[in-house]
Amino acid sequence: MRTIIHQRPAKVADKNSSTMLKDFFIEVGLITTFAGHFFKELFKPPFEFKETFKQCFMVGNKSLLLVGLSGFIMGIVLTIQSRPGLELMGATSWLPGMDAQGIVREMGPAITCLICAGKVGSGIGAELASMRVSEQIDAMEVSGTKPFKYLVVTRVVATTLMIPLLVIVSDFISLIGAFFACNLKDSVSMPLFISEVFASIGFLDLFSATIKTVFFGFAIGLIGCYEGYNSSKGTEGVGKAANSAVVIGSLLVFILDMIAVQITSFFQ
Amino acid sequence: MKTGTGNKIKLGIFVTSGVLIFIVAIYFLGQRQQLFNSTFRISSLFKDANGLAVGNNVRFDGINVGTVDKIQITSDTSVKVEMVIDESIRKFLKKGVKAIVGSEGLMGSKVVNISPGMSDEKEIQNNEIVESGASTNIDEILLNMQLASYNAVDITDNLGAIITNIRAGKGSVGKLFMDTTFANTLGQTMTNVEEGTEAAKHSFLLKGYFKDKEKAKAKELAKEKEAAKKKKDKGN
Repeated sequence: MRTIIHQRPAKVADKNSSTMLKDFFIEVGLITTFAGHFFKELFKPPFEFKETFKQCFMVGNKSLLLVGLSGFIMGIVLTIQSRPGLELMGATSWLPGMDAQGIVREMGPAITCLICAGKVGSGIGAELASMRVSEQIDAMEVSGTKPFKYLVVTRVVATTLMIPLLVIVSDFISLIGAFFACNLKDSVSMPLFISEVFASIGFLDLFSATIKTVFFGFAIGLIGCYEGYNSSKGTEGVGKAANSAVVIGSLLVFILDMIAVQITSFFQ
Repeated sequence: MKTGTGNKIKLGIFVTSGVLIFIVAIYFLGQRQQLFNSTFRISSLFKDANGLAVGNNVRFDGINVGTVDKIQITSDTSVKVEMVIDESIRKFLKKGVKAIVGSEGLMGSKVVNISPGMSDEKEIQNNEIVESGASTNIDEILLNMQLASYNAVDITDNLGAIITNIRAGKGSVGKLFMDTTFANTLGQTMTNVEEGTEAAKHSFLLKGYFKDKEKAKAKELAKEKEAAKKKKDKGN
């Protein structure tokens, strides 16, 4: 029994707008069904703990260097770019607070998740697509292993759990970068910097930023798996799956971010 | 198998460090909002909250000792502000303390400043309503500045009128500065006074007085010369 393969509509060469709209809604429907199937399989034993740990390592640890480095640069760049504007008002002492708000609220989650959508999303998409192309997924189904549970659930759980952690570590490293950049032209001691950072952010900032990254992580993993798992046969399909995983994953990150900002603003 | 264990350890370190950073951040944020310290509450009634918001700092002697916890309108002319204060500060807060709404700077957020009470009084109690002081409102300052500028306009107007009169030679000061005949008369008077003094020096009634004065002057000069000589000798 085949677990799940979502048959995508056949691609028509010359599409008119109504066909494109129809395709879009079909795609949204298929992704929703795919997500539903994920939640159904998530709570059904047996649980693939070992594979989940392995995927957590692949998503978390393997992205740490890239995320950490880009976070550090982001902190430095944000500080250097914000300085002239604040200097005009003679308010350079606000730099640590402004950095903290910018990094914790938006830059950290958005940029880290976009990097993860590029690295992790495309990786998952390409991996599953090549498994589909080389008929490994079909072989798993035939042999009685549940490929959806083993391949999709573990990966989506891994991205959902690891991306928020990556964002927290990235925020931390960004603030270290911001501290160094603040000390390029000014002299700010570490205790003063920490005090200014925590004076400018509140619980709402920290929690809303962390909660939204859980959704970002889920979206990146889900889209990566969906595109890979349902890729078209042939080597072309692998490239397409990886590409769509990045594009749709990044777009979803922005859409979810916009929704998160709207929800957070209700509480402010 | 070995690499599997190694990966698990690495993953463990990553997860632990991420969670630790999160917990430390929560701890720092909580500490700022007095979540983990034992606290007590005080409240104060203000006529005007002046833009105070929940979460603003409460300062005593310029140090952050708590936060504003609740603001509610109790009547059309009073606002009740409840504050959470660090328990360790209670021993310094005696009865008679005053809460005043101030601001951190021209562009900064609002703060409640608590001024010290009577040092020989008892400590304030939990949930006590403390007296509120009138805060300096930026609008009031601007209003006073406006009054001061109106006064300055009046003063410069008057000064202008006085200077015009002087230039026109009106009044005694105007005459002094602008009238040439007045200056000539004044010069003649001064010459007359000079001649009168010279005549007095030669009159037999005042001759003695002027001679005594000259002698005293000559003596003083001689003394000064001697003192200067002694100093020179000591230096050599």
